[in-house]
Amino acid sequence: MSGGSFFGFNVAVRGLFTAQRNLSVIAHNLNNVNTPGFSRQQAIQTAATPYYTTDGTGMVGAGSEVIAVKRIRDEYLDSKYWSENILKGEYSAKSELLAEMEVRFGEPSDSGFSVIFNDFFASLQELSKDSGNEAVRSVVRQKGITFTDYLNNIAVQLEKMQEDVNIRVRAVVDEINSLAEQIGKLNQQIYTAELGNNIANDLRDRRTLLVDRLSELINIDVYEVEMGKLPDGRPNKHFVITISGKPLVDHFTVSKLTVEKRTTKLNEEDIDGLYDVRWEDRNDLVIKSGKLKGYLDIRDGKQGQNGSPNYTGIPHYIQMLDRFARTFAMAFNEGYIDVNGDGVIDPQEDGTGHADGFGANGSTGVRFFTFLDDTREPVDSATFMDGAATVDEIVKRYENIRARNITVSKDVNDNCNTIATSDTDGEIGNIRVLNAILDMRHNSQMFSDGAPEDFMKSLISTMGIDSQQAVLYAKNQEAILHQVDNARQSVAGVSIDEELANMVRFQHAYNAAAKLIVTIGEIYEMLLNSV
Amino acid sequence: MRITNNMLINNMIRHINNNLDRMSLYQSQIATGKKISKPSDDPIVASRALKLRTDVSEIKQYIRNVQDAQSWLDTTETALAHIGDVLQRTRELMLEAANGTNTPSDTQKIKEEVVELKKQIIQLSNTTYADRHIFSGFKTDKKLLIDDETSPDFGKFNIDVSMDENIQYEIGVGIFIRINVLGGDLFNMGQPAVSNGTSPDDSTPVLIQHFNELIAALDAGDLEKVNELLNSFDKDIDNVLKLRADVGARTNRLELTEYRLETDLINFAEQMSKNEDVDMAQAIINLRNEENVYRASLAGGAQIIMPTLVDFLR
Repeated sequence: MSGGSFFGFNVAVRGLFTAQRNLSVIAHNLNNVNTPGFSRQQAIQTAATPYYTTDGTGMVGAGSEVIAVKRIRDEYLDSKYWSENILKGEYSAKSELLAEMEVRFGEPSDSGFSVIFNDFFASLQELSKDSGNEAVRSVVRQKGITFTDYLNNIAVQLEKMQEDVNIRVRAVVDEINSLAEQIGKLNQQIYTAELGNNIANDLRDRRTLLVDRLSELINIDVYEVEMGKLPDGRPNKHFVITISGKPLVDHFTVSKLTVEKRTTKLNEEDIDGLYDVRWEDRNDLVIKSGKLKGYLDIRDGKQGQNGSPNYTGIPHYIQMLDRFARTFAMAFNEGYIDVNGDGVIDPQEDGTGHADGFGANGSTGVRFFTFLDDTREPVDSATFMDGAATVDEIVKRYENIRARNITVSKDVNDNCNTIATSDTDGEIGNIRVLNAILDMRHNSQMFSDGAPEDFMKSLISTMGIDSQQAVLYAKNQEAILHQVDNARQSVAGVSIDEELANMVRFQHAYNAAAKLIVTIGEIYEMLLNSV
Repeated sequence: MRITNNMLINNMIRHINNNLDRMSLYQSQIATGKKISKPSDDPIVASRALKLRTDVSEIKQYIRNVQDAQSWLDTTETALAHIGDVLQRTRELMLEAANGTNTPSDTQKIKEEVVELKKQIIQLSNTTYADRHIFSGFKTDKKLLIDDETSPDFGKFNIDVSMDENIQYEIGVGIFIRINVLGGDLFNMGQPAVSNGTSPDDSTPVLIQHFNELIAALDAGDLEKVNELLNSFDKDIDNVLKLRADVGARTNRLELTEYRLETDLINFAEQMSKNEDVDMAQAIINLRNEENVYRASLAGGAQIIMPTLVDFLR
């Protein structure tokens, strides 16, 4: 027996240790079968370096040893998962918010815009058949109020939604900062642990999990960069996460994001106090995708007008509603319809409107629609017009009207006999002005989309299509993400059956090694006892 | 490809979730009877639904307008018929008076009746439909002729009614129908009604003028004049008949319009339903289908996720 008296014994014991080490790795894997983000570990077992014999009879095997515990993970699949997760974050945020917006508009239903608008015009039709009847006039006033209430309500709801999304933006930024900080700390722990030529398996798993969560929120790029070499010749790797090129986490350093209330509004329809998101060091932040982008697009999007995101978000819909209220009120009140869309009312665009007509009590120049003042009280026609005399001056007064403040004027509210139907004073059966107003319902030149109902229909269709698109994209991304995750699981997931089979295998190895020890022990005993 | 137990479970959960998603959709379709609950479910259907609803409501309104127009015209027709009857009676009396065989006292009696007939005409001129004077053009709150018998202006025009005071009801998109007969057309041979002309006789309607002349002639026993006036009265009777024919024609038009609108209503309502209502039978079959798939996936899933090697090792 060459190689020392107890050589064989040592080899046997090594076998025991190897089997034990493997079993403990298996135990660790089985324990963590349901741990999120866990990648299975594998003991790397090799044959120990053999000895050379001095008498030329070949090399002598020295048993087995476990040289490392490896983490089985495909880094490529991880980075694929992160890039798909970013898109999913954006679209699922958008689809959620757009669905909420649709519910607020409440179409098609029995209480949506088309029913309310139709009821208003139906009441005007009844008025055209009995213009002296005060009960009928009272109904017209009431339906008018219901109509303006609807517009007020939607506008206020959209503003509330904007505020809501604003709060969510802040929450997401806080979460990004918190995750970045945690990743920075983990970087430190991993680096320190790996200096001793180990692989910090479980810490890396934890870090990957945090990056998974971070990737849903904002568009990140993840690199492990080699910054020179360590004293012992191994590469010095730094873990870096960047957002559009600027580092969020760079090894131990974390640069945070911050929110700042805007002092000037981006869109005139915005509420006050919306947050801008930027780097804490005052640099501009370029957000390309992720949940944060979804929220910001919806909150600020006005199809790219004056620097807003190129998306149809809340400000766009508020702008459209404002435009509807303004244009419709101006056409109804004054008979002004800007056919050629040049923003100026040419003489031939000046038709017959409510203000040109006479009420049952001889009143004229009454505007049916005005706006609510700061105390939410309706303003009367005189205050609304504020001395405007020329067509251009009158047109300018309508800039005061928005969807959130349009209302039936104080004159009509106080006395429904001021509702104008006739084009001559004292002729109660004269409905020429009313007929001109009724005609406006079908005037397809009032808006570029067509008649008033076409405008709203187009608005709701756009919203429906955007929402449907966001839902489809989100579903797609979820499917892709699921598939990538499956692939990740396939590589890194713990299979109970596999581990148990391996466990049996190493149990046998252990038994064999133990038997070997017993046998060698018996040999020594026999040897010793013969002395 | 390596499959782990967790992958099996995750996949099963995901498929069951998709299944439940579809079941929930069919279930809400059955509960509401509508294909869509918000525009994004199907934007095209939603857009069409909005348009069709508007169309249906408008047609319903036009039908109401047509019915109201018909009532007004019916009242007008009745009034014209009465006026025609009165004029016929007057003509009979004129024939009787002009035959020269009456005693002065008989002529007086005829004159008394003519005076009564004149009062009737004046009453009829102020006919109302739901508190509105039908011959007064736009001034429906005012009487056409002064009907105060004690006044020296008895029978004169109370108000001005020009020839363009036509009350129009809308019975289709941009389609209007004139529903009234103007006082001037009926009583003033197509000339506008003027309430205070430059000379006293200007504000007397031509028809009433004829009556006044007849009464004067009967009073004076001027039978030749009575004969002359027969011509005028014939013209008056023709005028009333002409107006009645016009009213009749308009009533016909309204009937046809109403019929067409009712048909349109049925068509549009059917389209609206086809567009947004769900086919109940189809939806129920879909739901049952999904339920079956759901059960199958639950059963299948349970079979494969339960056992592991642990169950089989000693």
